[in-house]
Amino acid sequence: MISRVADHCFWFGRYVERAEATARMLASSVSLALDAELPSSGVWRPVIVVSGEEDEFEAKFTDGDDDHPAWGDGEAVQRFMVWDESNGVSLAKSVTGARWNARSIREVLSLEAWETVNELHLWMLSDSAQTTFAQHREAFYQHVRRSTQLTLGLLRSTMLHDEPLDFMWLGVLLERVNQTARMLDVHHHAFTNLPRRRSSDAEEVIETALWLSLLRGLSGSEGYLKRAAGRISSEGVARFLVSERAFPRSIAYCVKSAYDRLCDIRPPEHHALPGGASLERLRVLHAWVSAREAEPLAGSRAVHDLLTHVVDEVHEICGTLGTELLGAGRPT
Amino acid sequence: MQSQSQSQSQGPLAGLFDGYPECALPGTYDEMFDGDKARPAFQRVAQLLAKMTPDELARAQQLAETALLQQGVTFSVYGDARGTEKIFPFCLLPRLIAAADWSPLERGLQQRLRALGAFLDDIYGEQRILTAGVVPAEMILGAAGYRPTLRGIKPPGGVRIHISGVDLIRDPAGTWRVLEDNIRTPSGVSYVVENRLISKRLFPRVFDAARVHRVDHYPTRLAEALRSVSPLEQECNAVVLTPGPYNSAYFEHSFLARTMGLELVQAPDLIVDGDKVYCRTTRGPKRVHVIYRRTDESFLDPEVFRADSVLGVPGLMRAYAAGNVALANAPGNGVADDKAVYPFVPDMIEFYLGEQPILEQVQTYVCLFEEDRTYVLENLDQMVVKAVDEAGGYGMLMGPQASAAELAEFRARIIAEPRRYIAQNRIELSCCPTWIRENGNVEPRRVDLRPYILTSREGPWVLPGGLTRVALKAGSYVVNSSQGGGSKDTWVMKETHG
Repeated sequence: MISRVADHCFWFGRYVERAEATARMLASSVSLALDAELPSSGVWRPVIVVSGEEDEFEAKFTDGDDDHPAWGDGEAVQRFMVWDESNGVSLAKSVTGARWNARSIREVLSLEAWETVNELHLWMLSDSAQTTFAQHREAFYQHVRRSTQLTLGLLRSTMLHDEPLDFMWLGVLLERVNQTARMLDVHHHAFTNLPRRRSSDAEEVIETALWLSLLRGLSGSEGYLKRAAGRISSEGVARFLVSERAFPRSIAYCVKSAYDRLCDIRPPEHHALPGGASLERLRVLHAWVSAREAEPLAGSRAVHDLLTHVVDEVHEICGTLGTELLGAGRPT
Repeated sequence: MQSQSQSQSQGPLAGLFDGYPECALPGTYDEMFDGDKARPAFQRVAQLLAKMTPDELARAQQLAETALLQQGVTFSVYGDARGTEKIFPFCLLPRLIAAADWSPLERGLQQRLRALGAFLDDIYGEQRILTAGVVPAEMILGAAGYRPTLRGIKPPGGVRIHISGVDLIRDPAGTWRVLEDNIRTPSGVSYVVENRLISKRLFPRVFDAARVHRVDHYPTRLAEALRSVSPLEQECNAVVLTPGPYNSAYFEHSFLARTMGLELVQAPDLIVDGDKVYCRTTRGPKRVHVIYRRTDESFLDPEVFRADSVLGVPGLMRAYAAGNVALANAPGNGVADDKAVYPFVPDMIEFYLGEQPILEQVQTYVCLFEEDRTYVLENLDQMVVKAVDEAGGYGMLMGPQASAAELAEFRARIIAEPRRYIAQNRIELSCCPTWIRENGNVEPRRVDLRPYILTSREGPWVLPGGLTRVALKAGSYVVNSSQGGGSKDTWVMKETHG
């Protein structure tokens, strides 16, 4: 497979997954803002922090003021996260990125998958999208999620299960590791540092709503409740999102699946082929994440350290993949 | 079966074609109608189409355009920083070609391609035709498309014009005339296949009744033609080479790669090592045997052509000269579709094949020749003047419609660089019933035809169909998509038996 094409496949996967994750996170935050008796900045600031675009938002809206009302302005945050050109991970940017990469490998994608990507792209540019965003926010996010989920499903059901799809899925999975890790990290930190109230009952209600919202933001509430028989605890949720092997957005699941995909792309026994360093680094990360299963996962410090390690490693692995397989820094 | 009634309301011109004869373009050949009656071969189709209402057609047209946009059947608009993509305007009323009109055309195109191939072999070989004085040597050796460095190189498989798209028009008598031979990198065939998909979806009944030759096997035939010229008999890795997603024809490049199941590569994906071409893959270099290149030949190899090109593959021409890679089309073909060489194609047919030309062409004046130049300058306001090295409707003067300033400008240009210009009498293009959205009715518009011819080791094959381009603006003669032209599906009908 041509390295440039592999690169487009990989980034196509990442952008589609990122668009879906962004829409899901925003939708669950809208719901949380309605439910929980939280200060609104407690709902919306984490959204910006998770996206990694805190500096951009600060420069644009808050004048460096940590208590600026924009941090809690749900409309401002959503407009920034959906439409803003200066936000590198806005929904609009992710959809454009997915479509641009898809168009560059138009002959690799199945026609049906391409059409869903192209239609979403055209819809985002249409008046209809603006009207839906303004009048039916929930339907707007729903449209984006349905559309990206359809794309992801069609990739698997209409394409050859060989190298191009492996690279797309590798992109999806590594993006998903990042999304899960960042969501959990930011929310875990915020929730465990909630101002304590007198009534422990009220506190528990709020906490429950918060953890459920996080789980919903990762499409994990149903899975979690089945595993935990309805008991919601901070450690339980963190444990589920990190180590639950059967949950397709857990870090353990995504790292294991990414490793499997890379093993198909570059079999471990074929030492002469490029890609050895990426494969080894991903294998080590997989082993490390598996080993955490046996350890206690209490306190936000432990969770934060674990997730930081995962995010850093994924970053390194993507860099190595780029040079080894995706044609980055090729000799001129 | 057909109505004998003289009454318009019951004849084929009722319904959709009501009022069509009144807007006929005088002195043109109408492809579908003869006066107020459909031509005999098209009566059934005309009757079925006539039953549609303008509302139905408007809806169908809207559906077709939405489908094209959503499928991304678009071209990029140059000079638009936002990377706007547009659909190629499409009229869903088909252009019909009767079996009896098609078969001489098909034979004529095959003949022409055999002669042009022989001419290129000769020019890049012995140059017998120049020695014989059939074509003036200064004309050929001074042509911008002539590449002296390629002389003596024999292309793998012996084919030079793997893919061609010959532009034809029909004069007022209905006679086909070749307007130009596109034998470098002709485009548009993807629209032939895509337009057909839409016709079949929107007019299943009419299409079924018309008994039309299929066109969807073009990619299969193209892949076969490419494989047939592989320098290695046992294996063939063929690729499509594109300048990239910003090229206006990118949709077609990816369409062809996808429908042939080949890789679509860009120049930086290719490397040359030991005079062999390889593709950079995730598993290391992989040998490439045949390249269907959709890049201009000036950008193929900076070692040979434009040194300033960052688009090329250094060493590609060395690999080609060593016979290790086939290039489709072969570089150097531009010498044969030079507009000043075109008037000599009938002579080539006689010289190489010993046959009489089957297809007519358009009377052409070569400004390099003094006699022709004098005539052209004296009758400039009656002539169509074309620069020999431009395409897409650019660098053209339409004498009858030109202003005095334009005429003066072209006069000066012709005197300064006579080799760069040819002139032709303006020929009335034939016209076709065309859906006019603004008026909500069907009116005649001028059309041309670009059939596609594939040449493999076994010789030329003509796709029974082609791109019909239509000048959508009322009164216009210019069918190029860059200048307000659109396209139609072209239905070549099968022989009827019994």
